[in-house]
Amino acid sequence: MKIWAIATNTFAGFLRDRLLIVVFIILLGIVLLLMSPMLAYKAVTTAANAAQMQALVLSEVAAIMSFLSGCGSFFAALAAATAVAAEMKSGTIQAVMARPVKRWQFLAGKYLSVMMLMLCYVVLMLGMSYLLAWMGGERIQSAPWLLILYPMARYAIYAALGILFVTFMHTAVAFGMVFLVAVLTTLLAPTAPLGGHLAPWVHTALYSVLPSTGLLSEDRFLSITSANLHPVSWLDHVATLAYGFDYALVCLLLAMWSFHYRTLRRE
Amino acid sequence: MSPAAEFRNVTKVYRRRFLGQEVAALTDVSFEVQAGEVCAFLGPNGAGKTTSISILMGFLYPDAGEVRVLGYEPGDVRAKSQIGFLPENFAFYKYLNAEKLLRFHCALAGRDNGNSGELILELLRKVRLEEYKTLKIGKYSRGMVQRLGIAQALIGDPKLLILDEPTSGLDPAGRKEVRDLIVSLRAAGNTIFLSSHILSEIEQVCDRAIIVDRGKLVRAGTMEELLTPSGRVEILVNQLSPEMESEVMAWSGAVERGAHGVKLTVDITRKREAIEKLWAANCDVISLTPIRGSLEELFLNLVGGDGGGA
Repeated sequence: MKIWAIATNTFAGFLRDRLLIVVFIILLGIVLLLMSPMLAYKAVTTAANAAQMQALVLSEVAAIMSFLSGCGSFFAALAAATAVAAEMKSGTIQAVMARPVKRWQFLAGKYLSVMMLMLCYVVLMLGMSYLLAWMGGERIQSAPWLLILYPMARYAIYAALGILFVTFMHTAVAFGMVFLVAVLTTLLAPTAPLGGHLAPWVHTALYSVLPSTGLLSEDRFLSITSANLHPVSWLDHVATLAYGFDYALVCLLLAMWSFHYRTLRRE
Repeated sequence: MSPAAEFRNVTKVYRRRFLGQEVAALTDVSFEVQAGEVCAFLGPNGAGKTTSISILMGFLYPDAGEVRVLGYEPGDVRAKSQIGFLPENFAFYKYLNAEKLLRFHCALAGRDNGNSGELILELLRKVRLEEYKTLKIGKYSRGMVQRLGIAQALIGDPKLLILDEPTSGLDPAGRKEVRDLIVSLRAAGNTIFLSSHILSEIEQVCDRAIIVDRGKLVRAGTMEELLTPSGRVEILVNQLSPEMESEVMAWSGAVERGAHGVKLTVDITRKREAIEKLWAANCDVISLTPIRGSLEELFLNLVGGDGGGA
């Protein structure tokens, strides 16, 4: 009940948070801008260039969706970091923690609120996927629960990382750290070029520690450019999702441990 | 009876890791707050009051020493469920109104939301915010926010109330209401530990005071112990003849003429003699009051008067 009270109160705060609203509006603006060439391709499509235009439209849809999906990761980290940092900055944390609330309950409430926010984001993103695919003349055949759970697992990781870093560093630095993790994750992916420039043990160590968010990408089973489904067994889905949520849980537990020892002064 | 709060040889040092600087906020501080008493915590700015209160609430960890609150470690939920806390500059969620904020705090206190409505209304009535319960707190005046802070501190009928500057931002009527509230809470058996800059108020409502300066305990005791009699009395009379005035001055006394009469200050050993002479001289004695040192005088003597307040 206490965790739920903190979560719902924080969620209400998110809906009024100027920074998050501005970020969301910017995202929306970028998506609308990205949609304009797609609509232009559609407008100039004729019987002669139909196949070529269709490919262009679908690649545009894929670009918008991966942009939205990637931004969601940073949105999750930003929301998580500000949810904790805002309480420290305003001093409201003192009135909350004076109540019979354990420190881990406070963080769990904050985390839950971020996941509620990201669920709304994923549902919006899912709606956008279906809309764009429909506009592109295709139908997404994947089960909706997969398109919800995969990004949620990724966002769970980034939100937990955001909360973990903000328990011992400034919000801006924490957000920068999440960004660094995301960049390193991309650069160290098996198919990425950076791996070859690093000593094997450094590469192995970093690869083991950093989250394998590529594994949690919807691309593993869905290629929107051809609206095809790759055959992935349910066991593979379960194992991949379990990896994602497990990674997030470890980060969250580390955040709770770190938060237990931090001072709760107004900053 | 075990103390409501106990500090034993507590030391706290703030460290700035990268600059290698250390500031001792508290050095070997020991004191107790007995159950059922109203105890003031005084000291100039930077004396270590907020650090002590933060340690008591479990927001900070001491570097050395032992702290117990209601028999538990600070921050223990069993202790916190019996504590009401008003932080200095009570912070709030601007998007909530008073009713929703108190409902949120009731939920955190483990109070069933279904039954909290009546309690919330009663608390809002107590702090005169009933009419403004649906107004966003962001639109409240400073005094209203402070009253709301007091209301949230009273949720759950706490055994121990820790109030950091409870009358800050309140008008004289509001301050009186807080004083009356403190008196009524003490009568109900609650323990109150408060810090305030207004020493005259502390004198009126507190049983005991603890004074800290530069992170060290400089004095602690009951008001009777702290405010020792000065050995002089103040006599207020309706009039005073010039002969009588020179006689009083000869006793190393003092005379002060005011709108409500003449105030004489004489040594306590000459009290009877002075009264008899005044009566004989046909003066009407309005009052006779032993003069005690004020808390402000004591405070300024102890901390050197350079701290800028309590």
